[in-house]
Amino acid sequence: MLIATVVVTFIVLTVLSLPIVFALGIAGFAGLVVGDFSLQKLPSSLVAGSQSWVLLAIPTFVFAGNLMERCGMSYALVDLARALIGWVRGGLGMSVVLAEYFFSGISGSTIADVSAIGSMLTPPMLRAGYKPEHAVSLVASASAMGILVPPAIFMIVLGQVTDTSVVGIFLGGFLPAAVTALCLMAVVFGVAHRLQWPKDRRPTWASFGAALRGSLVPLVVPIVIVLGFYFGVFTATEAGALVAAYAVAAALLYYRNVSLREMVKLVYESALLTGAVVFLLAVASVYQFLMGMLGVPVLLGAMLRPLESTPWLFLFAVSVIVILFGMVLEGLPAAVVLVPVVFPIAKQIGIHPIHFNIVLTAAVGIGLFLPPIGVGLLMALRFANITAGQHFRAYWPYLLSLVVGLLLLILFPEITLLLPRRAGLVR
Amino acid sequence: MKPALRAVAWLPHVAITVLMLVAMVDMLAGVFLRYVMTWVSATFDLPSIRFFWVEEIGEYSLAWLTFIAAAIGIRRGTHFAVHIVTERLSPRWRRAITAAHSVLLVAFGGLLAIYGWQVSELNSQSYSPALNLNLRWLYLSAVVGGVLMVVYSLAALAETLSADGGRSPGHLA
Repeated sequence: MLIATVVVTFIVLTVLSLPIVFALGIAGFAGLVVGDFSLQKLPSSLVAGSQSWVLLAIPTFVFAGNLMERCGMSYALVDLARALIGWVRGGLGMSVVLAEYFFSGISGSTIADVSAIGSMLTPPMLRAGYKPEHAVSLVASASAMGILVPPAIFMIVLGQVTDTSVVGIFLGGFLPAAVTALCLMAVVFGVAHRLQWPKDRRPTWASFGAALRGSLVPLVVPIVIVLGFYFGVFTATEAGALVAAYAVAAALLYYRNVSLREMVKLVYESALLTGAVVFLLAVASVYQFLMGMLGVPVLLGAMLRPLESTPWLFLFAVSVIVILFGMVLEGLPAAVVLVPVVFPIAKQIGIHPIHFNIVLTAAVGIGLFLPPIGVGLLMALRFANITAGQHFRAYWPYLLSLVVGLLLLILFPEITLLLPRRAGLVR
Repeated sequence: MKPALRAVAWLPHVAITVLMLVAMVDMLAGVFLRYVMTWVSATFDLPSIRFFWVEEIGEYSLAWLTFIAAAIGIRRGTHFAVHIVTERLSPRWRRAITAAHSVLLVAFGGLLAIYGWQVSELNSQSYSPALNLNLRWLYLSAVVGGVLMVVYSLAALAETLSADGGRSPGHLA
């Protein structure tokens, strides 16, 4: 009865376009009423859920990413990617993947990635003779991969929800992202040869040097994050503070193209986004209480017991659900609704928490860019003015390679666990 | 709008900007204290500095920031919603649904404020470990957030009801 009330209320309100966070909140109130719990549980869970040291990494990474993008760091990274690989057949396409890997290393938000990479690289691809549907496919699939490159807001949220070290998840993301990027590049290589995509001119040493120098300032960020985490120097929250300070210093001393007024505006916008993300998590924490009271985790555990002997099948099944949820609900709501239910089971059947979180992140990335209504995909489509229908015929090979990447991550946990293990975060 | 009213309307926006800055500066101070000052006091054999307050300031700022920004988000459309079904409806229906949203949000904000007040009263006897701050101040963030949600939703409702039927309404657009 309680479960039915909550689920039906949530679905009806969501379908009627009430923002998901409020659909969850109102369904939560309904659940408390039907279950005869004190309604004070809602505000107290909300406050407890938003008052978190781990989540404090979100405001700084959001602000730093916004500021670095505004400084023009993304342009430098795109130049570097093109100088590195643009001269291969289909190199411009491959440089989308590479540029996204770099850019995602300074940005924590996938939606910001799509708009940055899409707006910077779609026009040159169209000029070079790439069909719009291919240009969009490249931007979309590369950004889906990019969610695996830390920092990522999504990983911070997962760390909070599953009580796993965010540093571990961040470190776990680098290699899976690289594996997925290679899968994508293989597809680009094949398509490029079939369609005879052009090459950039081979860069001279001088132009390559210039591109590299330009990227030094932004590339400090991912390098410091990797090393700092690897050697256990700081926590994810502290890394966020350092990166934000670095971004401000770079903007004021090196780039000098962002006025103080603009910077305050960025602070305000980052605060709005932070509020939206943390509030969603806070609302979701009410459900941890409700589900615990109902014994839902135990119930589901019993249901999924048959999968215990085949963890990979379990991860695959969860991934499919997450991909679909991610397409409809967007990544974060999907995570806060599903993860508290599924994670305890994963832990029970012996899947490492870092592995679980990375697979989930990869799945959400695919969901965000899944036709016909993945939010990220819809955004990428806007840069080329085509519809999801026109786009799909060119997109499926890329989508397939993302799924292949996901399967590799599921089947070989060591891809994820190698770096965290070396850093001593995995026993 | 009257100048005084406009100033009040600005307040939440200023508040989240300031809270965001406080949170970031606080964390940076934390890093500085933990790495630089700890080293300094260890090297020169000075009494060590306590910095438990860093966590409390950061977390309290985040809680307040979250509730106020979530309320502003109602007007600014920062909360994610699914539109596949409603975008196919006629403008008249969409308008009705938008109005219903506002009513629901007024109720949600109201409940949040009322029960948040009760919770903050319950906690008014407890104090935070580091800053010795009355915990009521933490829980009042839910009350303020709830009240702001009511205000912004009422404003949205008034706008929806006064808009002419043909216009595509607020956050459904």
